Amino acid sequence: MGLFNAKNKAAAVLKGRVEGIAKVTGAGKYAAEYRVDNMCHAVFAGSTIAAGTIKSIYLENAKQVEGVLAIITHLNKPGVPGFTTEAKIKDTRAGLPLFHTDKVYFRNQPIAMVVANTLEEATYAASLIEVTYEEDKATVDFKKAHPTVPLSLQGRERGSLDAWSSAPVVVDQEYDIAAEVHNPMEMHATIAHWTAADKLVLYDKTQGVVNVQRTISKIFEIPTENIEVFSEFVGGGFGSGLRVWTNAVGAVMAAKQVDRPVKLMLTRPQMFSLTGYRPAAWQRVKLGADKEGKFLGIHHQGKNGTSAFEPFQEGLTTITRMIYNFDNLKAEQSIVPLNLGTPTWMRGPGDCTGAFAVECAIDELSYQLNMDPVALRLKNFAITHDPENKKPYSSNFIDECITKGAEMIDWKQRKQQPGAITEGDWKVGYGVAVGMWGAGRGNASAGISMEKDGTMTVKTAMTDIGTGTGTAMQNMTHTFTGMPKDKIKIELGHSTLPTAGSQGGSTGMSSISGAVSAVCEVLKKQLAAYAAAINPAYKDAKPGDVLLSATGVSLKSDNNEFVSLADIWQKNNLTTIAVKASSGPGAERQQYAFCCSTAHFAKVRVNTKTGKVKVERAVCVADGGTIVNEKPAANQISGAIVGGIGMALMEEIHPDDKLGNLVGNDLAGYHFAVNADAPMIEVAFINKPDPYVNPSGAKGLGEVGIIGCAPAIANAIYNATGKRLRDLPITPDKVLI
Amino acid sequence: MKPFSFSKSDKVSKALSAKKEAVQFLAGGTNLVDLMKKNIAVPDGLIDISAVLSDKVEAQTVNTRIGAMVRNSALATDPQILAKNPLVAKAVLAGASPQIRNMASTAGNLLQRTRCPYFYETSTPCNKRNPGSGCSALHGEQRMSAIIGYNDACVAVHPSDLCIALAALSASVNVTDKGNKQLVIPFKDFHKLPESTPELDNHLPKDAIITSVDIPDNPFNKHFAYLKLRDRDSYAFALVSVAAALELEGNRIKDARLASGGVAHKPWRWQKAEQYLKGKEANAATFSAAAAMVADEVKPLPGNGFKKVMLMGAIETALQNCLTA
Repeated sequence: MGLFNAKNKAAAVLKGRVEGIAKVTGAGKYAAEYRVDNMCHAVFAGSTIAAGTIKSIYLENAKQVEGVLAIITHLNKPGVPGFTTEAKIKDTRAGLPLFHTDKVYFRNQPIAMVVANTLEEATYAASLIEVTYEEDKATVDFKKAHPTVPLSLQGRERGSLDAWSSAPVVVDQEYDIAAEVHNPMEMHATIAHWTAADKLVLYDKTQGVVNVQRTISKIFEIPTENIEVFSEFVGGGFGSGLRVWTNAVGAVMAAKQVDRPVKLMLTRPQMFSLTGYRPAAWQRVKLGADKEGKFLGIHHQGKNGTSAFEPFQEGLTTITRMIYNFDNLKAEQSIVPLNLGTPTWMRGPGDCTGAFAVECAIDELSYQLNMDPVALRLKNFAITHDPENKKPYSSNFIDECITKGAEMIDWKQRKQQPGAITEGDWKVGYGVAVGMWGAGRGNASAGISMEKDGTMTVKTAMTDIGTGTGTAMQNMTHTFTGMPKDKIKIELGHSTLPTAGSQGGSTGMSSISGAVSAVCEVLKKQLAAYAAAINPAYKDAKPGDVLLSATGVSLKSDNNEFVSLADIWQKNNLTTIAVKASSGPGAERQQYAFCCSTAHFAKVRVNTKTGKVKVERAVCVADGGTIVNEKPAANQISGAIVGGIGMALMEEIHPDDKLGNLVGNDLAGYHFAVNADAPMIEVAFINKPDPYVNPSGAKGLGEVGIIGCAPAIANAIYNATGKRLRDLPITPDKVLI
Repeated sequence: MKPFSFSKSDKVSKALSAKKEAVQFLAGGTNLVDLMKKNIAVPDGLIDISAVLSDKVEAQTVNTRIGAMVRNSALATDPQILAKNPLVAKAVLAGASPQIRNMASTAGNLLQRTRCPYFYETSTPCNKRNPGSGCSALHGEQRMSAIIGYNDACVAVHPSDLCIALAALSASVNVTDKGNKQLVIPFKDFHKLPESTPELDNHLPKDAIITSVDIPDNPFNKHFAYLKLRDRDSYAFALVSVAAALELEGNRIKDARLASGGVAHKPWRWQKAEQYLKGKEANAATFSAAAAMVADEVKPLPGNGFKKVMLMGAIETALQNCLTA
């Protein structure tokens, strides 16, 4: 374990991310990069059918490969205590128990694991395993499967459908989205090392070390405190790191079996099947308004795909309850089992898919009304109160977001008439959509250790998945204490550090800011107490009045009452000061509703001859409360928009209807947006503190950045061409035909 | 990956005599190594021939000779290529990524295998990978499949961008065979259609080595375009691509070249449309008529009907772009 920003000490002036130098020099270690003595390698062999039963597994050829130490299948698996009963399996939340069934539920399901001295040997041996099956008919095509699955009521119904049955303006349309994969740059990987019979060290790619501890503890029935998890550098997550997948379970099993440390890194094709995905979804939105554009009611139905062995429901209709005033609202949902892996949360989960349907339907309504879609939204926003629970919003600036965004993109250049702007073979159009996400906060702890020379190390178990958490911690510590940034080091992503939840659901920043604020208070109190032994003015000093510098402490008073750190340390006989504090949400959650929001604008060009869509400009104005760190915050949003462009225009898993395989399951075959597809992305923030969410006033931005992006692009394509495309991704063929 | 032996050769003749049945030559390795990792290519051994082949672009009396080992990145920035055959540079830059182009060789580009997703998924039937097992794409996902020249045995397409330009410019391929004999294969005859042997992509004689590619001097360095339509703007194979070049006298087309990628098992020359363009005024109506002639020739599969419309648009656009290039 090293300091997250250990390599930064060479930099005279700290700029950018605290971990930037460690990352670009390769000094920062990702899960699979750790070296553990005597380590060997495990590789999964996957099923080659999508549904059925394993009849036989022939291992002899694989066993002959030099270096093979063990081959584990359902026939010879070692005992896993957490997989012995259905109830225990469920409690682990690990999904399908690895190697504990002869049933095959999806293609590429791990059915054998080769452990060998080298990765090459394990990979080669895995390719020699021969399996026979009793094949069943598989269902992988969501569009074919969903019509037979009935819907059921989702959440409370507001008002009634009858109340707006005679609404003068109604949109009633269906919207589809293909499944998408996270595929972060860093593949999911685990190094498992049993250091004693009941002690385990894991180097794991995850968004939450505590979740890994908990899950592995349940599966292998060893105490959580006996499991040490490292996840100091994470090469992207987007939600795939919020679950513990088979790579971790397999590595731990293998390490036990061969009594050596084992590394298991998934291959890129395995990443498509074994680490979740955003499920395909169908939605129908019926939306009614009066002639002036006031919304009268909405009926939102949605279905999403899940696996054949585990239910996963997306919150498709959650967003419908949040943004606008709908006195009448009915939501229905269901899930559609398919012979695929289990989906999971992917950036802006549920809301992102739901917003595509709702925000496109609102756009369609605006054209029926012949009303500017910005004005239509402004007319219907629920600004002061959460329309679902009627609590006042602690802060909600979605109206400011859309107004500012309209200015930035020069919205007045848009023509209300679709297809009105032509440049050669290109049609030009503008689109808007909004996004919202509940501004959550969880319990989190942080610690600070401080040395005589003023060096402070701020610590938490929370991971930084690339979002800038470490940098934010440094910035906040500087703000809360006054200590210069170059004296503030960061240590995170390790389970022995002060505990904190997973980095997901846009709660990371909000949670950790409370903890950092709390621990800074504790430190200042502690320093004041020590200083009081030298200068009595510190006796009753409030933490808010104590200021730190590189050389000492001062009080916010006329003569500063400076006391040097050297004196404090000497007088009190100190070596290191170590403090810790926890913080979490409180009564404010009962009183207020919390949200963060975005307004997305897109200017697109659509080629009438080739079907090519180019996003020429993307503008996003976000309300994330106080912006602690503008650069990483803007980076979060622009990254989300690149994801939104992918969602709108290209990202799509194609399961083969007959064979059940995912066609093109590599980064050449699965198209996500690259730099060439992204315009210069213009991001702005409202940057007003939320008064109640946490001490920093900052709300998370990770999820909300993508919510609303795809519908803004789809709406712009309609504005450009007059063609309403309701099936994502909008690939050139759909534009042409 | 299956274990294999590895050796380096310092002479073409030595490499040829060292070549055994289950041994393959390695140049840039950008395709072969991937195929080995996927257990699609399973050679017992590799002979690295990157040191024995020329990496020079040379002007000759009536043509430009591109050494087999000229890397794609060098080809795209070579002053002689840019002056005499800029269409080639355009096509190269439309393919792969800078990292891959830094490794990939000219000859290797000609020999790269199809990117049909079923060819890459070893657990599915594929006549190209496993002759006689059937074609999964014929009844499967056909977004990337052929619209001309295919049969029931194989609907895969040739993936190269460079080769589309070389086909358009009537290049030829210089080869040394196992018996050290020099052969010249016209580009149009180099790649083949699936016919009854979809496992073979080309007519390169068994155990032969490509030593260079010649492009005859031509008048197509002023009005040319390479248009590649794909699902994203970089690092994706073509849905359809068009290499177009015009020789103009005033506004009259004296000669024309038109070829496409992403449509067939080989780079496809649209000769009928080329003939039609000769002598016509270079204008939108002419281009549209040429595109319609092309569209008449293709027979999309049930899953890629859009390619016909897209190809027409691409041809019209590419020809139009020739006038502004």
